[in-house]
Amino acid sequence: MKRRTLIATAVAAAAAISGSVALADDWRPERPMTMIIGFAPGGSTDIQGRVLARVLEEHWGQPVNVVNQPGGGGAVALTRFLTAEPDGHTFMFGVMLGLTFTPIVQEVEYDIDDFRYAGTMVGGQFGVVTRGDAPFETFEELIAYGRENPMTYAQQLPMDQTIMEIIAEQEGIDLAIVPTGGGGGMAPLVLGGEVDFAFSGGTHAQYTPTDEMRVLAFLTRDRSPFYPDVPTLQELGYPYAMDDFRSFFLPGGTPDEIVSAFEDAARMAAENPAFVEVTVDNTLHPIVFMDAAETEATIREIRAANEALMSD
Amino acid sequence: MDFSAISDAFGEALTLTSFIGIGGGVLLGYIIGVVPGLSRSVAIAIAIPMTFYMSPFIAISFLIGLSKGTAAGSAVSAILLNAPGEASSAATCFDGYPMARGGRPKTALKIGLLASVIGDILATMILIFVAIPFARVALLFGPYEMAAILAFALVFIAGLSGGSLFKGLAAGGLGIFLGTIGLDPQTGMPRMTFGYAELMDGMPLIAVAIGTLALSEMFVQSDRLRYERDTMAVKIGHDKADTLRWPEFRITIPAIIRGTGVGTFVGALPGLGPSVGSFMSYGMTKRASKTPERFGKGAPEGIAASESADNAVIPAALIPLFGLGIPGNVSAALLVGAFAIHGITVGPLLIRDNPEFIYSIFAGMIVASLIMLAIGWFGLMVFAQITRVPHAVVIPIVIFFCLAGMVLQGYGVFGLVILMAFALLGYLMKKYDYSFVTFLVAFIITPMLELNLRQSIILSRGDPMILMNRPIALFFIACTIVALVMLGYRTIKKPRPVEGAAAAD
Repeated sequence: MKRRTLIATAVAAAAAISGSVALADDWRPERPMTMIIGFAPGGSTDIQGRVLARVLEEHWGQPVNVVNQPGGGGAVALTRFLTAEPDGHTFMFGVMLGLTFTPIVQEVEYDIDDFRYAGTMVGGQFGVVTRGDAPFETFEELIAYGRENPMTYAQQLPMDQTIMEIIAEQEGIDLAIVPTGGGGGMAPLVLGGEVDFAFSGGTHAQYTPTDEMRVLAFLTRDRSPFYPDVPTLQELGYPYAMDDFRSFFLPGGTPDEIVSAFEDAARMAAENPAFVEVTVDNTLHPIVFMDAAETEATIREIRAANEALMSD
Repeated sequence: MDFSAISDAFGEALTLTSFIGIGGGVLLGYIIGVVPGLSRSVAIAIAIPMTFYMSPFIAISFLIGLSKGTAAGSAVSAILLNAPGEASSAATCFDGYPMARGGRPKTALKIGLLASVIGDILATMILIFVAIPFARVALLFGPYEMAAILAFALVFIAGLSGGSLFKGLAAGGLGIFLGTIGLDPQTGMPRMTFGYAELMDGMPLIAVAIGTLALSEMFVQSDRLRYERDTMAVKIGHDKADTLRWPEFRITIPAIIRGTGVGTFVGALPGLGPSVGSFMSYGMTKRASKTPERFGKGAPEGIAASESADNAVIPAALIPLFGLGIPGNVSAALLVGAFAIHGITVGPLLIRDNPEFIYSIFAGMIVASLIMLAIGWFGLMVFAQITRVPHAVVIPIVIFFCLAGMVLQGYGVFGLVILMAFALLGYLMKKYDYSFVTFLVAFIITPMLELNLRQSIILSRGDPMILMNRPIALFFIACTIVALVMLGYRTIKKPRPVEGAAAAD
């Protein structure tokens, strides 16, 4: 064990001297790691991330500490992440939104080019939900209801608020929008009948099996495999989408061998039974694997689409 | 109630790891409680970082066990040293110390322990039977009700924890101000962060809590060290007469029952610390006694009244926390943070959505009480020795744990600077008699209050008449106004208020 470490150190030193020798797939963490989650504990990102941390502990043999840095739809965590050491020991189980939307509406210190992206594991579940006994069963009925009655909507992100504002204006709905502070705050508002409908990042999975909540529409580009009958906003004729995937983010300047080590870890996690179980069964998110290149391309693509939407 | 769920819950609470976790919490709490000057909130603030490495169930049970341990342990120094381990056991000194001086220290300690344990178990039962049915109606408490209750709690705390309304308002106002730092919950725009990304999700709670509660207290203690000599501790001998017999214990039972009732009531109200409970219980027991002249000279009922109320407060403070997500006092507020760290949202849906988890916590609490009995009973002689550990040893150790706990948070040097700033603030507040409890609770409540208030205003579309359909909210708004008027009147009537007894939690 000791000898292997020594050799690794020697090789690493040699690599550092020669500057360009790549240690393909050989990178391993050598001390406890920190996984940053840009959302508050209890949400679906957090629940998945904590299981992912355990899976990675097994994979790499190093403890992975989970640190929640909620706020600004991931912007807080990304801003702090700017100063992280690019040595692979601090990484983010990141939600793309902080890169694909936040920089458009808000002045932030970071941008897509400031980080590296190393593999996607989870697809998004952004939807619009209402309580089980609401007087409307589909999104069309909700719009019809809204034309007659003033309505209330619980937002979680500036983006879903923008989309709902556009739709409300277009359809002539008198809509009041309240902040919730995350999925944990949304559920009591919907179940208690305080709001007519709400944004859900995945919290609804806990309440749809008992019919306490109903998903009216998905904001994603594709339908969810778990709710095949629920249409997307685009299918309903509103050209807006809020897609989102969860991937490993690494600090900018992270060497290629570390990025590819994380890419392998993402591939491994996407097939790991414990991670698949928590993602699919507990939080009802689809497993979506993308490699590092595809992840970065997707982020840039969604960003461009969002910029087009917001400039209208 | 579902009985299989309860047996499952006990199953989880009785595994070896939970036993070690809960037992460790109680033992650590007991030790901290015994050491004069270290209080419950200090213990929890320092211990939260330790729980990062535990499962959520063990972590929460550990922290609750810790609270219980401090409440029971603080009686030891009250009885043997005449210096309460924390303010909430001050009433225990009145009769505990005379009894110990009278040659019966072991009897006094055992009465205190039994009263603590019985008060604790009974109050835990009350918590279980109140909180579980309450969870069914918790959804009636929407943003209007929550905002009203939080506003009421804020005023109540400001009024009760200091002498003067103005000092209370100043401390509370500062807490509110600091509580608004961070990103706006709706627009995501930063407020008063001065460009520090670290402040985007607010002033870090652990820094504020450890700074104002624990670290500043160490400065205050070292201040005192210069002027105060160590008090003489009563030594425990092997006197045959120094045993607790049934007839003597029997007369304390009414006091224990009364103490549990008072403690539970006080604990369930937001903001009233355990010290209010134990003093109130002591006073009531003395008034109810046929021989009030025995009090203050070693009456066993006096010890029992104070200690049972002191311990009953802890489970009772969890009633509003588990039911609505509103912390009843500083220790409960710190538990919110602990729940959050372990991925559990504290709110009206807590029991409904995590019944197994909460049942396990309840089971863990009862196990903690029993462990407390065993530790206290058999460790009597050992804990008596701990009362003699000099402050000069305790203070550096606690300071080390404060700093280490902050470093574990991952804020780096920034976190330590914030910690030191809050330690200084806490020190000055304690020196000039501003309630740091009011400050801290206001700081913790403000984000919740802000969110609920904004939700209420938007949902009502600015129409206050909506409250006519909200009797619960209306009731609490009325309470808030009454409390404000009464406190204002009290302050004007007494321009120089006497120091309140309720300052510490």
